[in-house]
Amino acid sequence: MNKIASVALNTFRESIREKILVVALLFGVILMGSSVLLSPLAVGAKQKIIMDVGLAAISIIGVLTAVFLGSTLVHKEVDKKAIYLVLTRPISRSSFLAGKLAGIVLAIALVFAVMTAVMLGTIALGKGIVRPAVFASVYLSFLETTVVCSIVMLFSTFTTPMLTSFFALCIFAAGSLSGDLKVFASKFGGEGMQLVTGSLYYLLPNLKVFNLRHEAVHNLPFATGDILRATIYAAVYCAVVLFFACSIFKRREFK
Amino acid sequence: MHVLNVDGIKKHFRSDMSLAKREVLRGVTFHAREGEVLGFLGPNGAGKTTTIKVILGLIRAHAGSVAIFDRPPGDRRSMARVGYLPEMPYFYPHLSLTEFLEFCGRMSGVGRSDLPGRIDRIAEMVDLTPHRSKRLKSFSKGMLQRAGLAQAILHDPDLLILDEPFSGLDPVGRKMVRDILVDLKKRGKTIFFSSHILSDMETLCDRVCIIRDGVIAKSVVLDDLLKMGEGTVEVAARGWRPEMMQGIREYVESVRTTGEDAFLVVREQRFVRPVIERLFGGGAEVLAVVNRHRTLENLFLREIGRPDARTAKEKKEEKLVFTGF
Repeated sequence: MNKIASVALNTFRESIREKILVVALLFGVILMGSSVLLSPLAVGAKQKIIMDVGLAAISIIGVLTAVFLGSTLVHKEVDKKAIYLVLTRPISRSSFLAGKLAGIVLAIALVFAVMTAVMLGTIALGKGIVRPAVFASVYLSFLETTVVCSIVMLFSTFTTPMLTSFFALCIFAAGSLSGDLKVFASKFGGEGMQLVTGSLYYLLPNLKVFNLRHEAVHNLPFATGDILRATIYAAVYCAVVLFFACSIFKRREFK
Repeated sequence: MHVLNVDGIKKHFRSDMSLAKREVLRGVTFHAREGEVLGFLGPNGAGKTTTIKVILGLIRAHAGSVAIFDRPPGDRRSMARVGYLPEMPYFYPHLSLTEFLEFCGRMSGVGRSDLPGRIDRIAEMVDLTPHRSKRLKSFSKGMLQRAGLAQAILHDPDLLILDEPFSGLDPVGRKMVRDILVDLKKRGKTIFFSSHILSDMETLCDRVCIIRDGVIAKSVVLDDLLKMGEGTVEVAARGWRPEMMQGIREYVESVRTTGEDAFLVVREQRFVRPVIERLFGGGAEVLAVVNRHRTLENLFLREIGRPDARTAKEKKEEKLVFTGF
């Protein structure tokens, strides 16, 4: 556990010293600032606009940071052969990968914390009210990003950063629409189509369970049980993906 | 007791685009005893780094076996007793030297309370104390090499595997690394290292394995090597003529000429006097008399199939006029 924490700390340090993280943060802050500029267009709905754009920005920037940070960090470590220093020590490859994932998730948590603080500050300046649903929505977005992060780790164990980013973004897009995919197949597809879409539905992450933005913006009620179920779902999904990533990584040779 | 046992390892690679098999290791066998300094010598592409990677479990052999402290490569208990310095090391550039050594120490299982003291001592040992807070990305190649040695010895391993430890070091750095390795040898550590710097190998090693085309071509104990050819003497003379060989032919192993100079290899010490008298008698001038012993360089060049390392120009100027065998 101590060694996983060491790898995580090292990855976190590397992440926060990477320019990509600064760029992502800056982009997020600008995006949220722009919501302040947009708000005069919707008279009487200023707070909703700020919250809507802010929560969307947090989610998108979080996922993009996870994709680009995750895809480059593992690959760079392997490509530059820094991994030799780690894998020739008494640590398993699975622990290394788990530490790497934990470090990236920690860095993303920092991005989320800063962006949430900026959003809350913006809302407070406009004398708006921050409801618990806003925090719940940010938390679920963070879980969504963690799931995407584990998918990035899986691909980065055997392919290039470019392909890792491409596959991860495709899965993110498909995962956001996986519910619609099932409905579409049940209405229009044949038996074969239903089998394929059914398999994809269970294989792809159902990212809709992490979306509480609508409830947060429009002050709608939400069930705390859904938050708990989403947390368990994210943990199980990450564990399964990490298991496959470790299985591939254990077989990998470092020429 | 054998700390490291490499038995008949074979490894081939396939290129990405074709299915052609390239055999890199074709049955490498050797061992390192406890407390021994074992040199690993070979031309570029002979399989040195591949062998080291198989030993460390970074790649798997297709045949044969490796045991470190009687355990397979990658076993956590044995890896805790191994220190490794890769060839052309790349360290985390975003870390300072202290952060880097803390990370390596923790990964090797050094206790939290021991770590600061050890880092102080090791940084001092490799003369990097003034640079401890600097990021590794600002380090020169020689400093990185010393930082690499520091991380390899930080956890006081029983077996050190060093891939080209003298690479990129200036003469002062080389001496420092040599002194550290001599000190580790005195403390009974087993050291296995590859290098192209033969003089350092001669100074440090108890034994040298020469690898060529993926097999161990020769394994030689350095003390035995120095005894090989013991007693031969080289006499350099100016104004030498072939007819001077009359009467001393059986004393001389070979003669090599460069312009009007000749270098006569005398078989034994006791034949030096008659050879010199013959040269003086023939009107030649004796420039130097040098005791010869077989060097690692001689052996290495012979084993890799290049017995004469002189340049083409030098060869053109020289003419071998007589050999005793």
